[in-house]
Amino acid sequence: MTQPIAAAAAESAGQPEANIVERDLLATLNPLGRAGHIWIASLVGVCLLALVAYIYQLASGLHVTAMRDYVSWGVYMTNFVFFIGISHAGTLISAILRITNAGWRRPITRMAEAITVLALMVGASMVVIDMGRPDRILYLLIHGRLQSPILWDLVSVTTYITGSFLYLYVAMIPDMPILARFARERGRSPRLVRLYEILSLGFRETPEHRRRLTRALGAMAVIIIPVAVSVHTVVSWVFGMTLRPGWHSTIFGPYFVIGAIFSGTAAIITAMAVFRRAYRLERYLLPEHFQRLATLLLALSLLYGYFTLSEYLTAWYGGFGSDSRLLALLAGSTAYGTSFWLWGVFGLFIPIGLLVMPSRRSLTAIVTASVLINIGMWIKRYLIIVPTLETPFIPAQAAGITPHYFPSLVECTITVGAFAAFLLLFTLFSRIFPILSVWETLEDAEEAESKVAVERASRHTSLAPAALTILLIAGALISVVPWARASAQVQKPVPRIELTRSMVDSQDVLVAKVSTNGRAVVHAVVEFSVTRTFGVMTLGQDTTRDDGTARVGFPVGLPGDARGELKFRVTIESPSDLIGPPLEVVLAGGAPRVAFIDNVPRALWSSRAPLPMVATIIFLLLCVWITYAFVVIQLVAMRRLKAEA
Amino acid sequence: MKMPRREFLRAGLLAAGGLTAGTVGADRLLGAGAKSSGPRAAATLALTPDGELVVTPSAEYAALAQTSDEVRRGVPGRRWVMVFDLAACDGCGQCALACAKNHFIPTDREYLRIFKMQDSPDLAPYWFPRPCFHCDNPPCTRVCPVGATFKREDGIVLIDNERCIGCRFCMAACPYSVRVFNWGRPNDPPEAHARGYSPEWGYPRRVGTVEKCDFCADMAREGKLPHCASHCPMGAIWFGDENDDAVTNSAGKTVRLSKLLRDRAGFRYMEELGTKPRVFYLPAVNRQYPAPNEPGANHGNLPRGGETQSAQ
Repeated sequence: MTQPIAAAAAESAGQPEANIVERDLLATLNPLGRAGHIWIASLVGVCLLALVAYIYQLASGLHVTAMRDYVSWGVYMTNFVFFIGISHAGTLISAILRITNAGWRRPITRMAEAITVLALMVGASMVVIDMGRPDRILYLLIHGRLQSPILWDLVSVTTYITGSFLYLYVAMIPDMPILARFARERGRSPRLVRLYEILSLGFRETPEHRRRLTRALGAMAVIIIPVAVSVHTVVSWVFGMTLRPGWHSTIFGPYFVIGAIFSGTAAIITAMAVFRRAYRLERYLLPEHFQRLATLLLALSLLYGYFTLSEYLTAWYGGFGSDSRLLALLAGSTAYGTSFWLWGVFGLFIPIGLLVMPSRRSLTAIVTASVLINIGMWIKRYLIIVPTLETPFIPAQAAGITPHYFPSLVECTITVGAFAAFLLLFTLFSRIFPILSVWETLEDAEEAESKVAVERASRHTSLAPAALTILLIAGALISVVPWARASAQVQKPVPRIELTRSMVDSQDVLVAKVSTNGRAVVHAVVEFSVTRTFGVMTLGQDTTRDDGTARVGFPVGLPGDARGELKFRVTIESPSDLIGPPLEVVLAGGAPRVAFIDNVPRALWSSRAPLPMVATIIFLLLCVWITYAFVVIQLVAMRRLKAEA
Repeated sequence: MKMPRREFLRAGLLAAGGLTAGTVGADRLLGAGAKSSGPRAAATLALTPDGELVVTPSAEYAALAQTSDEVRRGVPGRRWVMVFDLAACDGCGQCALACAKNHFIPTDREYLRIFKMQDSPDLAPYWFPRPCFHCDNPPCTRVCPVGATFKREDGIVLIDNERCIGCRFCMAACPYSVRVFNWGRPNDPPEAHARGYSPEWGYPRRVGTVEKCDFCADMAREGKLPHCASHCPMGAIWFGDENDDAVTNSAGKTVRLSKLLRDRAGFRYMEELGTKPRVFYLPAVNRQYPAPNEPGANHGNLPRGGETQSAQ
């Protein structure tokens, strides 16, 4: 493809071109000037302030945030989604461009991979900051339930962080010997020299070393793409798996993934612009690089706009009750509505305009669009999280409560601190390692491009997506209760009452026979009832007939006790001289009690995950981690080559 | 969870070699809270699983008697159920007050909240008390990453505040906004410390953890109605065991559940969500009281709402 770098380098002075590239790129590692010191000092200051805010939050509880029972997630979750989002920069730019062997990626990859690792570290820490009990974080391992999307997050983010570290490192190995030499020549601290030497794994330009490196890089580039896609899908599912308007959406996975790559690409362009200016890398970060990324950014912004339209237009047009209420808040004449439409204009349409115009050639336009997109995407995430929580199904207003959220001072401080930490980490990284890949820049664009033409990423076609098997436990034990046998125990107060169950006129009835001294009592009012857990349930009243019997329908189907028996109670209500303590009789004929029947599949809320789910997750993870292991084996092999030499 | 404490108690007993010493040991173990229950207040002679006799304060006995397994399993053979008669509820808020008092609920939250609902401007308003629905297909319990909230065999959904990590995913997942959070450090009265902690009553509270209506699991275990049901002056709250096919209200009246739901056209709130609540409602037809907004109606005496979030 293009080799403007070599050309640009060659025309300056008469030095060998490699030396100039090295000099220029490693210049980023030279001691800082006054401005650099002030920059770092102020970032450290902001981080310390945020640390104080966090300690204050730890000491007093999340009460110091503006989050309350209705809006229980706020800017911390927004930051989490945002940082995980921009972490996707590294994946796309670096891995996809490496696989497709696009030559123009070379000055960009290192920066992209570094953004991934650093943004992931900051993003993951936001979740811990959001936790009410960070001291119990290990419970996620001890009591972890694989059915919870938070566990999916934990597993995939951990896998992603490990992978991006490995990827960043593997791509840096060939730079390490150069760095070690450079540090030695410049008389830098021996410790730094030692660090570079250790990290180099004894890499030298031999075919064997090169072969191992190519293999490791190829494997990482392939595996990191599905991992990255899974991470943001799972992040979206933390919202998508709930029954909430605005969250419970089938497009949330791809919507978040596109949003992540969108904001990630914008982040890379912004970072490129900053480093280009700060480290005077104009010769290496050419307008062409910005323009190519701008084309990508344009495509992504159109895609994101399309997803947004699809998401909200269907909700608006369909007009489902809760969706309408959400949209009235989100896009109506409220503060959120204003932000939403401002985002639409400044975060989407104006950037699209800047990117689509002929002025797309201008760096200023591209960088302006990227910055707008980055700010806009943070606001967009906020608008996804907060208004939904302010729109519960049972309107809080009906109880005189108006849920409202605006971040507190502590939350703002910690948020600013998170951004400062990200910038600080990025600055420090660029002080120790070259922010442009020296070896890749040195490579001749034509021939030396490592043959990372990796076979198509066979995205596990064999792996069907996890189909959750429904576990139905039908544990009913139904024993046939002896039917006819009705045993009656009779107490012996003055009025004698006999309670039996019998068929009268083909009706199933309870019959009470009242007598005194052997003579039937007529016209006595008798009340029948049956005891239940919390009280006595009246079955009915009847007046005794000539034969002294009163009757009431038998409560067919009423559950009995463990033995299928019912405890009946018969009371005489009148005449008053017969009123006495109630007669209690236990009769068979109660419906059998069911022990425990699950009438819903409990797979998702039982304490243990169903086997197919566990198997699928473990299988997917194994695929990824075995690839990591393969990469590490390549590195170990490289190290061994050094020992042999 | 309870085990170490019980083991410790027994160890103390053996060392002291006497019942009296055991009681003292128990008092000391139970901490400051136990003292407020008064010296020698209601002691229970209990037999440990290993056949030893111990004397413990009665209140503590309840906690000691239940291993965490029993708390997580629930009362065998029971399926607790609640029915709100919207035709009888006049929105007085006594249920929420009784609940708050007996659970020592701070003023910034409610387990049982009364909403003044009006489904459309043309339709009559009605009072809508909302406890936790203890769904049979609970969305909250699905998403808990650590199994801190759990569904029992007797239908109750509880939270173990000794395990909750405070991620608040369950709060986001509950479509009924039932769950509340200990945002600040709890300030429970001394009485709340008297019986020790159990998920069945949820206090003493712990900072950074989620809580909610517990269906008064401890009361049901003893065969007593929940505080809301027993304090309703209108008898509008029915509670019972579905396996019994009967529910009882504050007037002591017990009726057949299946018949009540059939005759009065009972329904569950937002059945379309598929959560299968264990709380039923009887529609507000033939009201026995002035509807909200009518002359003489209870209005605005929603006892504790309004303070929750508007303060911020």
